[in-house]
Amino acid sequence: MIKNHTDSVPLPPKNADVLTTCCDYCVVACGYKIYRWPVGQKGGIKAKDNALGIDLPVGLDQGGWVSPNMHNIIKHEGKPHHVIVAPDHEIEVVNKGGNHSIRGGAIAQKCFNVEKPTRDRLQYPQIRVNGKLERISWDDAFTIFAETSQYVIKKYGTHSWAQKMFSYQYFENTYALTKFAFRNIGTIAFAFHDNPSNAPSTPGFRDVGIDNFSASYEDWYLADTLVISGTDPFETKTILWNEWIMKAIAEHRQKVIFINPRKTTGVAFAEENGGLHLQLNPGTDTILQMALARIILENGWQDSEWIKKYTNNKWETDSGFGQGTRNTDWQWRTTWGQFQTKGFEDYKKWILSQKESELNYAAEVCGVDAEDIEWAAEMMAKPNPDGSRPKTSFGVEKGNYWSNNYTNTSSFASLGILCGAGNRPGQMISRFGGHQRGGMKGGKYPVTESPEKFGGRRRKPLDLDRWVQAGKVRFAYVVGTTWTAAMCGSGELAEVFRNHITRNPNQLESTNVQHVLEVFKKRVDSGGMVMVDQDIYLRNNIGTEIADIILPAATWGECDFTRANGERRIRLYSKFYDPPGETKPDWWIVAGIARRMGFSGYDWQDSNDVFEEAGRFGRGGILNYQPLVKLAKKQGKRGHELLREFGTTGIQGPIRMQGGKLVGTKRLHDSTLKLPETGPEKETVWRQWLTKFKTHTGKANFMKSPWYLFGDFYDHIKPRDGEIWILNGRINEIWQSCFDDVERRDFIKNRFPENFIEIHPKDAEKLGVESGDYVSVASDRVPVQISGFYGRDIDDLLFKNLLKDGHIKFVSAKVKAVAMVMDVPKEGTSFMYFLNPENPANVLTPRVPDPISGNYRFKLGVGKIKKIGESPYKHSFQQMTFKSRAII
Amino acid sequence: MKEEMIKVENMETRLPTCVNRRQFLFYSAGAVSTVALSSIFGVSAAFASSAKYAEYPHKKIVSLSELQTDTPVDFLYPNDDSTYGQCFLVKLGEKAGGGVGSNNDIVAFSSLCTHMGGLLSRSYKPAHKVAGPCPSHLTTFDLTRHGMVVAGHALESLPQIVLKIEKNDIYATGVAGLIFGGVKNPGIK
Repeated sequence: MIKNHTDSVPLPPKNADVLTTCCDYCVVACGYKIYRWPVGQKGGIKAKDNALGIDLPVGLDQGGWVSPNMHNIIKHEGKPHHVIVAPDHEIEVVNKGGNHSIRGGAIAQKCFNVEKPTRDRLQYPQIRVNGKLERISWDDAFTIFAETSQYVIKKYGTHSWAQKMFSYQYFENTYALTKFAFRNIGTIAFAFHDNPSNAPSTPGFRDVGIDNFSASYEDWYLADTLVISGTDPFETKTILWNEWIMKAIAEHRQKVIFINPRKTTGVAFAEENGGLHLQLNPGTDTILQMALARIILENGWQDSEWIKKYTNNKWETDSGFGQGTRNTDWQWRTTWGQFQTKGFEDYKKWILSQKESELNYAAEVCGVDAEDIEWAAEMMAKPNPDGSRPKTSFGVEKGNYWSNNYTNTSSFASLGILCGAGNRPGQMISRFGGHQRGGMKGGKYPVTESPEKFGGRRRKPLDLDRWVQAGKVRFAYVVGTTWTAAMCGSGELAEVFRNHITRNPNQLESTNVQHVLEVFKKRVDSGGMVMVDQDIYLRNNIGTEIADIILPAATWGECDFTRANGERRIRLYSKFYDPPGETKPDWWIVAGIARRMGFSGYDWQDSNDVFEEAGRFGRGGILNYQPLVKLAKKQGKRGHELLREFGTTGIQGPIRMQGGKLVGTKRLHDSTLKLPETGPEKETVWRQWLTKFKTHTGKANFMKSPWYLFGDFYDHIKPRDGEIWILNGRINEIWQSCFDDVERRDFIKNRFPENFIEIHPKDAEKLGVESGDYVSVASDRVPVQISGFYGRDIDDLLFKNLLKDGHIKFVSAKVKAVAMVMDVPKEGTSFMYFLNPENPANVLTPRVPDPISGNYRFKLGVGKIKKIGESPYKHSFQQMTFKSRAII
Repeated sequence: MKEEMIKVENMETRLPTCVNRRQFLFYSAGAVSTVALSSIFGVSAAFASSAKYAEYPHKKIVSLSELQTDTPVDFLYPNDDSTYGQCFLVKLGEKAGGGVGSNNDIVAFSSLCTHMGGLLSRSYKPAHKVAGPCPSHLTTFDLTRHGMVVAGHALESLPQIVLKIEKNDIYATGVAGLIFGGVKNPGIK
């Protein structure tokens, strides 16, 4: 960080342009203001002389300070301009008063600037000729894409044409891209960036009847006890921590129970302030949650009155989770008979009958003191001496649901409703979120055509990675994801792509369109594959060495976009500078491709056109903004312009019209929400889940979580013979998969010049490793499921049977990292950053999805750590620090 | 050390179209001198081209003989502003980047967290040689590594006060970085 010793910052003059936006990164989406003015002018330090409207210096312990990393030089209408992108110090929601993270605070450094590390933005379409990327025109790129796609679809069928894309990068782009994939192509070979198939992140929530993003940020503040599983918001949802949870601890002594194998700053702070850390062994969440439920049940601490009123009884659940027999995401979960209960009494009976819920057994398997589990149950559910109940909320993220997807989420949500949470202020069950919520579906995923078939009429969304591995994909359109590095067993997956693409003998020798088409057709006919990669940078390794065609996308700040945050708050992200070179927003690119393929409905002139069209298709969803579009029309405005008037405050979806005005929705399933007796006004949709749970009856379901469905896999992959757990995830300073933070910000790169591995001091001593040593992290048994698209019953899908039937192979993988020895990971576990471009931790993670849901178990890597030698950082004062992340 | 004064009347009029960091630093230094950080902190050649600090009037902080390991000393710098000039000096007892003294273990920093101006002066942790976590939002800075963020939200390292020793006295001579709150360091025009 020493490189950044700039000691002054320019101020915007009074007449600077002021626009609003939000941070591009984590799900919290703090509100920011953009100040833009031509180079050559400057503002003064008095409020009357600057566009910030504040006197400088600003007071201590408050927002409004403009630090050097908030400044950049951009081009606006071709001319150089200063730009300051600073947290909105007047905002009263989300990042109240101008709080910010280390990532968003420096988001001005995201802007393209030839004098800065962003200079390597992709700027024009390219094609790989003789292994080297050569520039081509958009017109040629569209022709090649369209004709190759048409050839592949006609000859090999739509399912040989794949699309892998971000799920979050703005409504306009996700709508346009999914409209193309689902409504026009109709492919089943589709997956979002973080998932091998089109599977929901928390299927157990779905079955209990809870929407992932039902809570508002105020609910996390209002809770007396907050259960946080699988994440530390300090690290990855910074302002949710700073402004809501940390304030709840300080202002009304909220007790925070962290369930996580890793102790980071937020966890350590909670422990110091009346909270608790259940530092469990990776992958054992289901057992811990069942044990907690059992303690509550045995003591009679459940919220009986609430349960009677708001959960399904045995008659109501009979009809498939209270949702109709075939009404789950994929119909088979209802008919397996493994998960459904006949209401509370049945759930209680089941929990009490399970070995996994026994306290001492759970304590042993989870590696957590039995007394701590009992204490946690008390904090969650034990009534106060006056008979009142603690208000408890339950928040979850990927450390939980990406280790054991289905039963972790079904048992977590069931524990929540046992405590009376899910439908009222301060008592909610939700995800905290990862990326922002920018998904707007432009079509329906054709699950009924999925080749993943099971007995009866059961079909599951297709595992795209396995489909590629099996050689079924001839054309792949990849948008805004690395695909390879982002998936499990990623080293081996990259090899699959190389075999299909770069090692195929049919390679280009010129950019001539006819030549390109001939070679691509020969390639797909020989069993190979053609790949188009659309992104903002050339990413390792999909861009640098694998894809045939590279399409350059415009991004945040370069086009008006819209998106929601983790409490469904919808805002406009203003365009404020010229996109570099020939870059175009994703919606523009896919529209050009679609038109070239002869599809209609892609004549959008700007992003607002896409926004308004998408609004019609999102009417039934939790981010419904159609009333805003309609009101704008009535007022003679464009949708984006009306949303711009809501500034950084935005409005929470679903947006409703009430008394002729737009109103937001604070929380879903909200039993306290009073809707007008006069009924929904024009364009307003009242779905039952506004005030009730997301089931047919509107009541929640208690779900089972049988351990045996996961236990055989767990027993097989858990560390043995000198291995330890190699966990992975994001950290505070590097959130953004490296494409901005660590690759293009000097002060972050100085902090983390290479990937690291946190190792517990006791493990480090055994391994003879010290902080600053280079280590190799390797495994020769990374399991990869290579086949098994069919099954007759649940047994066929269990790991032990997949193994027996030859559907699993084991591959070797190795990465290098700099050791950081600290009492942060639990003994026997370690932690790496997940997506380092050179050394991605995902090479070590098992590529065997949860058979019940189709999600990966990203958090369950194992490997052996071995010292290589000393890194240059060990004795340097300039780069890296090896201090603990849990100092309080 | 250079004492030469560089006068730049209006940095804006002299900024090239796309100013780079080095130029920006040079132009923005105002009526103080900029000194290559390499001469003070012994940084590697890769950093020498861009890493500089601003030299300000020298000020005696404390005598070496009065200093005890792990006991911070508060002082005001670069001027006597009782809010923005709050700094602390500490003898860490282990070698540190920019450290002075026979063990290169005496360092000084601004006491204001570069996240949102929380006061770090009472947060020194002897066991870890860090400042923090900041009482406001828990950012922690490594005092052995030029105030680098260990974990937290600050967009800049903690501004390091450049020190020198003359006979038995420790002097502050400059600041590497922008102190929280203003657009220039306190007292600098």
